Amino acid sequence: MTDAVLPTPALRMARRRSPFRRKAFPYLLVAPAVVYLLAITLYPGIFALWRSFYQGRFKLEFVGFQNYASLFGDEAFWHSLYNTLVIGGVTLAVEFAIAMTLAALVYRDPFVRGWRIIFLLPMLFMPSAVAYLWKLLFNDGRVISDLLIRVGLADSNIDFMGSSWLARGVLVVTDVWQWTPFLFIIFVAALQGQDKEIEEAARLDGARWGQIFFSISLPLMRPVIAIALVLRGIDILTMFASPHIITQGAPAGDTETVSYFIYRTGFKSFEFGYASAASVVVLILTVVLAQSFVRRFFRSGRE
Amino acid sequence: MPEGSRFSIARTVLLTVWGLFCLLPVIFFASIALRPRNEIIAPRPIYFPTISIETWAKIWDEWPIMHYFMNSVIAVSGSVAICLVLGIPAAYSLARYQYKGREDIGFYILSTKMMAPAAVAIPIFFLFRAMGLLDTVWALMLVYAAMNLSIVVWIIRSYMIDIPHEIEDAARTDGASDLRILWSIIIPMCLPGIITAAVIAAIFAMNEYLFTLIIASKNAYPLSVALANFSGGSDGIIYNAIALVAFLAFFPALLLVILIQNHLSRGLTMGAVKG
Repeated sequence: MTDAVLPTPALRMARRRSPFRRKAFPYLLVAPAVVYLLAITLYPGIFALWRSFYQGRFKLEFVGFQNYASLFGDEAFWHSLYNTLVIGGVTLAVEFAIAMTLAALVYRDPFVRGWRIIFLLPMLFMPSAVAYLWKLLFNDGRVISDLLIRVGLADSNIDFMGSSWLARGVLVVTDVWQWTPFLFIIFVAALQGQDKEIEEAARLDGARWGQIFFSISLPLMRPVIAIALVLRGIDILTMFASPHIITQGAPAGDTETVSYFIYRTGFKSFEFGYASAASVVVLILTVVLAQSFVRRFFRSGRE
Repeated sequence: MPEGSRFSIARTVLLTVWGLFCLLPVIFFASIALRPRNEIIAPRPIYFPTISIETWAKIWDEWPIMHYFMNSVIAVSGSVAICLVLGIPAAYSLARYQYKGREDIGFYILSTKMMAPAAVAIPIFFLFRAMGLLDTVWALMLVYAAMNLSIVVWIIRSYMIDIPHEIEDAARTDGASDLRILWSIIIPMCLPGIITAAVIAAIFAMNEYLFTLIIASKNAYPLSVALANFSGGSDGIIYNAIALVAFLAFFPALLLVILIQNHLSRGLTMGAVKG
């Protein structure tokens, strides 16, 4: 009797594979990636925590929370946090404003592909190369000073590394030049993806372009804007190549970012315990930020 | 877009100004690569230099640029290969199966993108020192792969979600195993996503600076850090060598990006923005 029942595909599958194997299969697929990432995230976290309780370069000496105590009392550390937020905040705001303006101007343009290729060129250089380019333009080659003198905006060479706000401005300009296209490309794609007919309908109802953009297109883009700003924000807050190459924290540590602070205390002064304590603090901050941002904004792509 | 010629003129002016702001430094940089050293740092900047590729021979003699280039190629392509081998199965698992903890695993992978490189630099340095891998391309390869794995998984996952279930169901009815379905149906169908992920991972790896700086100390220099060492005694920073190396990395990146230009926004947002 049983022989007469033809095995359905589902039955065949069930027979071929034990329930345990079927349950374990998706975990097995994802496991190698997770193990690899744990090795490169969990291990460093634990190592930094352990190392932050010790001092010394070769002979380690247990010092308890002393590294943390000196870190929180270290003005240079707080200053680097402040610099990171100020430079990062200004950079992100400027990049957002420019990218959104350009995207709004260009997304229905028949030559949008051409504009996009031109605008994204800076993004294709290595950040270290871009840092040298702007170091040359602002500082060593005095090109920006020369141009400002020619148009009458300056009388003599400007020492961009001499004033904290000018030096921070150099870092902002360098990042804006290279990374505005990142936001621009995302915004153009999001605008192009929106339904043309909604815009048409609004226009037929007599809405002006500005009204359409600010009351329809922009609100529809909110999730995209959030994701783009989070991704760009992370990169800006971990800015390292340009401070390392252009300013090295000058003048008086006013352009020292947190990343550069850790690098300097760790790999220049070789105070690994101290730098590890700073690493732990930054890790905790990033874990908190990641938890709140990632889950909030990346829902949209879900099934 | 509003109508009216005044607006359209203002619009063209704005776009042109930004276009020039993007292009002029690039052109200036290219001219730096092509000019003799005494015309780089002059009392007043020289905008129309003597163009010569003579200095190239000198640069080529002074630094093993091909060696640096090959270091980049090996470290970058190796890291992309690791990302794909680990990332494709992971993406498939996250895109296609229902199981406990799937969301948490997916978000854990994504959250590694948020890690500040500087915060893990010291442990990574000691890890590779203990493994005897400092100043090797292998260490660079492993770090670049770790750095990009989250991006690769999420981009590919987003493309896999878009494939209709019916195709797999049909194959499954015909008795194909899950791995077989992944290999002969899913992977070919989301090839654009895989290529996009690979290109973006390659460019990010090529750009990496902080980890590279602490791992490589001469032998393993890839282009991104090699150029930071083009300075010699009285010559100061040798900008034409830097510019040359910058363009050596720029052109491959340009070709790759043109290849995936319609997928670029989706890739840069890790699959969140389609189109």
